[in-house]
Amino acid sequence: MQLRLTINDQRHELEVEPHRPLADVIRTDAALTGTKVACGEGTCGSCTVLVDGRAVLSCLTLAVACDGADVRTVEGEDELLGRLQAAFTAEDAFQCGFCTPGQLLSAVALLRANPRPSSAEIRAGMSGNLCRCGAYPAIERAVARAAGEAR
Amino acid sequence: MARLVKTQVEMEGRYEERWTLVEEDVTPEYADGEELAVVGHPHTRVSAAARVTGGARFISDIDLPGMVHAAVLRSPHANARVASLDRAAAAALPGVRAVIGPGDVPERDGRPVLTDAPAYAGGAVAAVAADTPDQAERALEALAPGWEPLAFVVDLDEGLARQEFTEDPEETSRGDVDAALAGAAAVIEAEYRTPTQIQTPLEPHCAVAAWDAGGLTVWSSTQGIFAARDELARAFGLEPDDVRVVCEYMGGGFGGKQGCGPEGYMAAELARRAGRPVRLVYTRRDEHTTAGYRAPTVQTYRIGADADGKLVGVEGSAVIGVGVHGWVFPVLNPAEALYECAHVRSMVLPVKLNLGFSNAFRAPGVMEGTFGFEQALDELAEELGIDPLEIRLRNPAAIEQASGKPYTSKHLEACQRRVAELAGWKERDALRSDGRVRRGMGLASQIWWGGGGPPAHATVRLGKTARPTLVCGFQDIGTGTMTASAVVVAEALGVPVGHVRVQAGDTARSGYGPTSGGSMTLASVAPAVRTAAHDVRTQLLDLAADMFEIAASDLVLADGHVSSRDGTLRHEITEITSKLGNSSLVGHGSRGPNPDGMRVNTFGCQAAQIAVDTLTGAVTVEKVWAVHDVGRIVNPMGAMSQVTGGVLQAVGFALSEERVVDPTTGTVVNAGLEDYKVPTIADTPEIVCEFVDSPDPHLALGIKGLGEPPIIPTAAAIGNAFAHATGVRVRQAPFTPRRVLEALAG
Amino acid sequence: MKPFTYSAPASVAEAAERLAAPGARAMGGGTDLLPQLQRGIRRAGEVVDLRGAVPAGILAAGQGVRIGAATRVADVARDPDMAARFAVLAQAAGAVASPQLREMGTVAGNLCQAVRCWYYRHPDLTCWLRGGDTCYAQVGDHRKHGLEPGDCISVAPSDLAAALLALRAVVTTNRRESFPLADLYRKATAGDRSTIALDDGELVTAVTVPEPPDASAYMRAGERAAWSFALCGVAAARFGGEVRLAAIGVSNLPRLLDPADPLAGLPGLEMTGWKRRLLETLTQDALAAVG
Repeated sequence: MQLRLTINDQRHELEVEPHRPLADVIRTDAALTGTKVACGEGTCGSCTVLVDGRAVLSCLTLAVACDGADVRTVEGEDELLGRLQAAFTAEDAFQCGFCTPGQLLSAVALLRANPRPSSAEIRAGMSGNLCRCGAYPAIERAVARAAGEAR
Repeated sequence: MARLVKTQVEMEGRYEERWTLVEEDVTPEYADGEELAVVGHPHTRVSAAARVTGGARFISDIDLPGMVHAAVLRSPHANARVASLDRAAAAALPGVRAVIGPGDVPERDGRPVLTDAPAYAGGAVAAVAADTPDQAERALEALAPGWEPLAFVVDLDEGLARQEFTEDPEETSRGDVDAALAGAAAVIEAEYRTPTQIQTPLEPHCAVAAWDAGGLTVWSSTQGIFAARDELARAFGLEPDDVRVVCEYMGGGFGGKQGCGPEGYMAAELARRAGRPVRLVYTRRDEHTTAGYRAPTVQTYRIGADADGKLVGVEGSAVIGVGVHGWVFPVLNPAEALYECAHVRSMVLPVKLNLGFSNAFRAPGVMEGTFGFEQALDELAEELGIDPLEIRLRNPAAIEQASGKPYTSKHLEACQRRVAELAGWKERDALRSDGRVRRGMGLASQIWWGGGGPPAHATVRLGKTARPTLVCGFQDIGTGTMTASAVVVAEALGVPVGHVRVQAGDTARSGYGPTSGGSMTLASVAPAVRTAAHDVRTQLLDLAADMFEIAASDLVLADGHVSSRDGTLRHEITEITSKLGNSSLVGHGSRGPNPDGMRVNTFGCQAAQIAVDTLTGAVTVEKVWAVHDVGRIVNPMGAMSQVTGGVLQAVGFALSEERVVDPTTGTVVNAGLEDYKVPTIADTPEIVCEFVDSPDPHLALGIKGLGEPPIIPTAAAIGNAFAHATGVRVRQAPFTPRRVLEALAG
Repeated sequence: MKPFTYSAPASVAEAAERLAAPGARAMGGGTDLLPQLQRGIRRAGEVVDLRGAVPAGILAAGQGVRIGAATRVADVARDPDMAARFAVLAQAAGAVASPQLREMGTVAGNLCQAVRCWYYRHPDLTCWLRGGDTCYAQVGDHRKHGLEPGDCISVAPSDLAAALLALRAVVTTNRRESFPLADLYRKATAGDRSTIALDDGELVTAVTVPEPPDASAYMRAGERAAWSFALCGVAAARFGGEVRLAAIGVSNLPRLLDPADPLAGLPGLEMTGWKRRLLETLTQDALAAVG
């Protein structure tokens, strides 16, 4: 099927089979491998991207169901994302870094909806992103730090 | 001058004598009490930019021209024979480039990678490579295997009763335990059970293999590029350097990705036959069925002490559910080694089961053994009416208990006292109440190895821009080895950490580096790195001395400048290096052996405060205090992250992680992250972390390892806190709502 | 995943027509359907994306609210009016799965999701509920299953169903103007293993809560602090002197409980007796919360 996607402000016109997940199309057709697939069944959050502003799991989203959508990934240029990337670096909020792109996109969605989240709100808002290295305390600090550095 | 000497080398508690190349090393140790400019100060990761922007290319991101995709046919049966396999049908499908089956892949550790007798559900039978992942899936279906299911055993108690072991049960003992226990003032007996815990790296096991005229290149999500290289070279009949293994970024291992896994063998064989690069990525289901795990145990202890709480006898047995095969890890080491005791007997029974192979998971054996032993010790303390902290302080081991050798350094008691102070141990009874939610505090201690050792090689080169490049043969699996190594280089050369480029994770560009395992990576690598950097430093100072007509010994390197000690001379380093043109200063370093006749161990103690909702069975770990003795801390920021990671994996072990195997079909029923529950950010306790941070006087740079220590005592501390909170001891992890409610119901 | 065709009808009528075709599968957020297709435990000839066909959004309806079938679960959770007047529903919506799954999942999809039973979802087994002849859970490991004996011992997973059942919600489909939520569910039988009582081509278009309760609350226990399907969830809503209690996680279908005897008919099975205690606790907590 014909598919029009805008990924990080770049327009893509693609021919995509209906059963292909958005994650696969982002990684393969658009060659943006920052988006990770760790479980492929919607349980870990590594593949989180923004589709029309919502943080969704791209492994459980059909690409063809996103026709005309605006997709943002970790490779996108964005002030809030940049602030979070700096905060994740400063707080050591990752170890292997495989879950980090998904963490960052969830954090973007969280701070867009709630620019000054409490600790409990950060923990709730980030709870769909597993980090097996156990960087959670630093992730919480990083999200709070990025929120605090908002202009 | 280099020479070969025989020295003792340790990995995860196994010692062996090995020939070791020892090079002359004139690098002085950091001076005692010297305030260092870079080492010991917090630094963010040198690879941070790549990891937060999506620029880091992980193994599952590798995409080569012409690359095709692999899929693996796995047995759905707990034990079976494959009666038929239609390879021709699979090979005839569009896009299919190679089909391999039983016998087609070189053996791994003497065992077939693909087999027609898969002895567990998930065992690999065949594999295919096709132009697209979908085509590979279709090809698997076309194989249409004919299964002949066979009888199986997956239950640990049933396996023990059947007395089928992966290797012979082994008893070790010192002294006369029975006599000692007969004379004890108090003896407790207790049985503890620990679950199967899955490593759960978020990047699944994966490999990309490509052949060319020069040989085989494998990009592998591995903890050991050189181990993988050697394995593949042996398996495929190649010279070691005909195989290149690359692992620049990988998504976590935690012990489960040592060397080259079956995925690398399969990818290499498929690539050979397809004549194209092949990518093979395990599914999440594979991670839970065929990629390894921390083996489940049943531990039984009989421990006795005199009236003062001095241990007189320790007897332990550990039944381990090894699976079809696997290393037998030292579950009873904590019982044997954590405290002084002259009379110890231990028995290990490695039970064979129709389940995938077990392998290393962060502090393999010792973590689960600590869960049992450190709780049993609390039971003994309670029996004697002695405070749990006190009984630990009364039994310090002054020398390594099994070998009788001295430790290079040991500060366990300092860790125990400091944890008690931080946690408010003396006032812990104030946490308790009779209400619905009960709070309590427990503690537990830890012993592990982690001295590192040879071989490890490093090269540092410095060119005209004074930005050094370190080339070293380790791989950074998220532990921060790249950053810590850059810190060591920066210290020696007086340049910012951010100016150090680290090239690691590629067997083709460096000498040997160690596997990331056993808490030995940094302790092995850092001395070689420092020697290499110091070599460059010496050359640089010689050039400066010549240029500025001053004795090299009167110069210091710091803050990007070369200065005279008296402060009269100060020049940017680039003033010297800019004159190098296309030359570089090149330094080389290699890791020497640890002192013979001594034992290197790491120590630590943690306390946990938990809350138990007695009506829902929900357990919340509220706070963990961790103090570890791991020698010199090179990068406190990275070290803290290691500790939080270890603690959190142990919280999962204690509260929610448990592989469940269906008794009637022998298959794993929670083979995914929906039903196998690792902690989320919302499950995270407040973690307070300190280090003794005392350089080990007998080790190069004073460094010991930190990977395993923090995971070891947490679960036992949580168990002890549970008993403190509720008065009830749940002797089986994890403490799920079901187990808690059943235990509290009596 | 096996290939299928995809359609995104723009009207209910077109959607109904497409869904009536053999092999057609309704998709809302896809969070339940796609994992099943990936595991090969369901097949689809065509995936019919309903999000453009059925309404989304929360509208006032007299005293109550009408929630479009395609409304995202997250939008229910964060709606301020919902939190103020229908607390149990906002709380239940906020407890569903993970933040991302709440952004994706629709209200109707949540109500119609398949059970989470680990045998039902096992790629290599075909259990009774999926048309086989064995309830593997009964002979195997059913530590998280129901308290009610039967042909199948899996449990209702939808948090929203518990809340909406307590709130006396009614369902609207393209064929029926309104019927009680309880009637959306049916016990699977030997002849028909479906637990959703919709005809071929019938689809949920809205759920209406007729009036706000005087007080309401959702109590829930999971396996960890977040992102866990409910081991047990209890919704309570008080309308004047009447308290309606509904539970999930304890029986095949979302279940109305008798406040005087919430455990009635739920004896527990060999491995699930502990859930009786949990249900009792959550019931008492929910009752206490609604006064």
